Amino acid sequence: MGLFDFLKGKTPEQQAAEQQSLRRQADILMSLRGGRVPTGALERLTAAGQGRTPWMATLTPAELRIVRSHGLKPIATVSATCWLHYGWSWTLGHAQGWEQALQRLADEARACGANAVLDVKMRTIPVGVENSMDFTLIGTAVKLENMPPANDPVIATVPALEFVKLLEADVVPTGIAIGAHYEWLRDWSGYAANPSVWFNAEAAQLSNLWNDVRHRAHANLRESARPRGNGVLAHLNFSQMFEVEREQGEMKIKEYLARYIVVATTVQARRGTPLPHDFQMVVDMRAPTPLTGRAPHHESYATNEQSGAI
Amino acid sequence: MSGNIPQHAQERLKGLRSSLHSTGVFTSDFSVNEFLLVRKAGFEPIGLCVGSCVYHVGIQYGAWGKNQEMDVLSKAMYHARELAMSRMRAEAAAMGADGIVGVKLTIKRMEWDEHLLEFIAIGTGVVHGEGHKGFRAHDGGPFTSDLSGQDFWSLLHAGYRPVEMVMGSCVYHVAHRGVLSGLGTVGRNVELENFTAAMYEAREIAMERMQYEAAAAKAEGVVGVEIHEGSHGWQSHVIEFFAIGTAVLPLTEEIAPEKIADPIMVLSVND
Repeated sequence: MGLFDFLKGKTPEQQAAEQQSLRRQADILMSLRGGRVPTGALERLTAAGQGRTPWMATLTPAELRIVRSHGLKPIATVSATCWLHYGWSWTLGHAQGWEQALQRLADEARACGANAVLDVKMRTIPVGVENSMDFTLIGTAVKLENMPPANDPVIATVPALEFVKLLEADVVPTGIAIGAHYEWLRDWSGYAANPSVWFNAEAAQLSNLWNDVRHRAHANLRESARPRGNGVLAHLNFSQMFEVEREQGEMKIKEYLARYIVVATTVQARRGTPLPHDFQMVVDMRAPTPLTGRAPHHESYATNEQSGAI
Repeated sequence: MSGNIPQHAQERLKGLRSSLHSTGVFTSDFSVNEFLLVRKAGFEPIGLCVGSCVYHVGIQYGAWGKNQEMDVLSKAMYHARELAMSRMRAEAAAMGADGIVGVKLTIKRMEWDEHLLEFIAIGTGVVHGEGHKGFRAHDGGPFTSDLSGQDFWSLLHAGYRPVEMVMGSCVYHVAHRGVLSGLGTVGRNVELENFTAAMYEAREIAMERMQYEAAAAKAEGVVGVEIHEGSHGWQSHVIEFFAIGTAVLPLTEEIAPEKIADPIMVLSVND
């Protein structure tokens, strides 16, 4: 490659590659709009599903072992993205974005004939394009030997080991549920945040605002979970409250925004099914010990993590 | 681990949805291990319980050269937590829970107002699988506990049950040293006795208050005690000592010590 190659114009190969990229992007766009898996991905997944190409899994060797011992076979890595602009509501956009990504992931799983997708990770690239965010899901599609493909594959956010543990307990992790809610409070009295200047007092208006928002978010979570299972294991609670001052004619009025998002894994659990295993208490001899100088027992030297034991 | 996947789970993997669960959806913030162990302990989660309280903390200044409890702040910190926890418990009681496991108590400062603190208590309400009511607290309401699902299982197997989350708070102003007192210590290591004394007193007050709560809950002891030292945006010499733990009682049939299984030692070969 010379310094002035760009003056020479593009080689036929480069032109062809560009053309191909354009075609592929157009295809991705059209497919997603039509609710289909993009052609490239569809071919890869179909081939993997039929066993014509090597399987591809995010599993570690230990996880592979445990999955195989339960009759599960990895097929392909599946992924889905929805990059969403919050034109209307940031809070509710989260529910919408993940929901869309979830549907696309399920489409990919169906395309490769899977019964389940495990180890599904929720990801976002922190590029911070204004008022938007990407909702990306990546996981490993698996099938159960001697079982026909599911038209409604389960999406499990848990890693392989936990997936199998749950299955043995007759609990199936089925998907993701989002509960999101926000509300504005307009403070006409001007005392919402300072019910009293000097003394202790509950800011009851704000407490109520929080209680309402949380309850509604949790109620939404329940509703969002209902089509997928009969319970959720939550893995994320996110909340924020803001104070904004607005001009209202002559007056300045404070408004408060409270928003709350809870993200959870839905499960379908059979109540009262006993767990087949006995639990035993073990002492992990590799567990953190104060003698390594790193455990929280040594808070006094928290900044000095490099140095060794006693 | 056996290679058996139960029938019902297999059916779901086939893509068949069961209509068994007309009863409703439970919510929880359990991890997989917590969920499995809470169920193994004989309980079922029914719903997330949340209590929150936004609190305007009053103003109090400590005398510059004096060790003293900042009782206005102490009361605020205690009262606000109490409100958040009792709201959480009321929510659990309303859904018919026998107890709340894995309570997380957090405090957030509002960036836009230094006097506002937000207290949140969140935990998972559980019921006993066979409807046994003996696990409830002494007032007949749900027990509360900050133990994880794993700890909950371990506690039951040690012969105890959780009764109530107990806490004690003491916000304390540590005296500044006088200008002259520094002169006598030039070139010597000396204990700053009044600082030491301040730490002792504040910690003792916090622990005493927690112990008092445990006694009021008619508990035998308190497990998982933690003492936090924190400052929530106060002056530099003002520190909160906060003691928290789960008060416990022996199960109706106390397990004889020799019946409690010894833990097995394992050496993990994982990294």
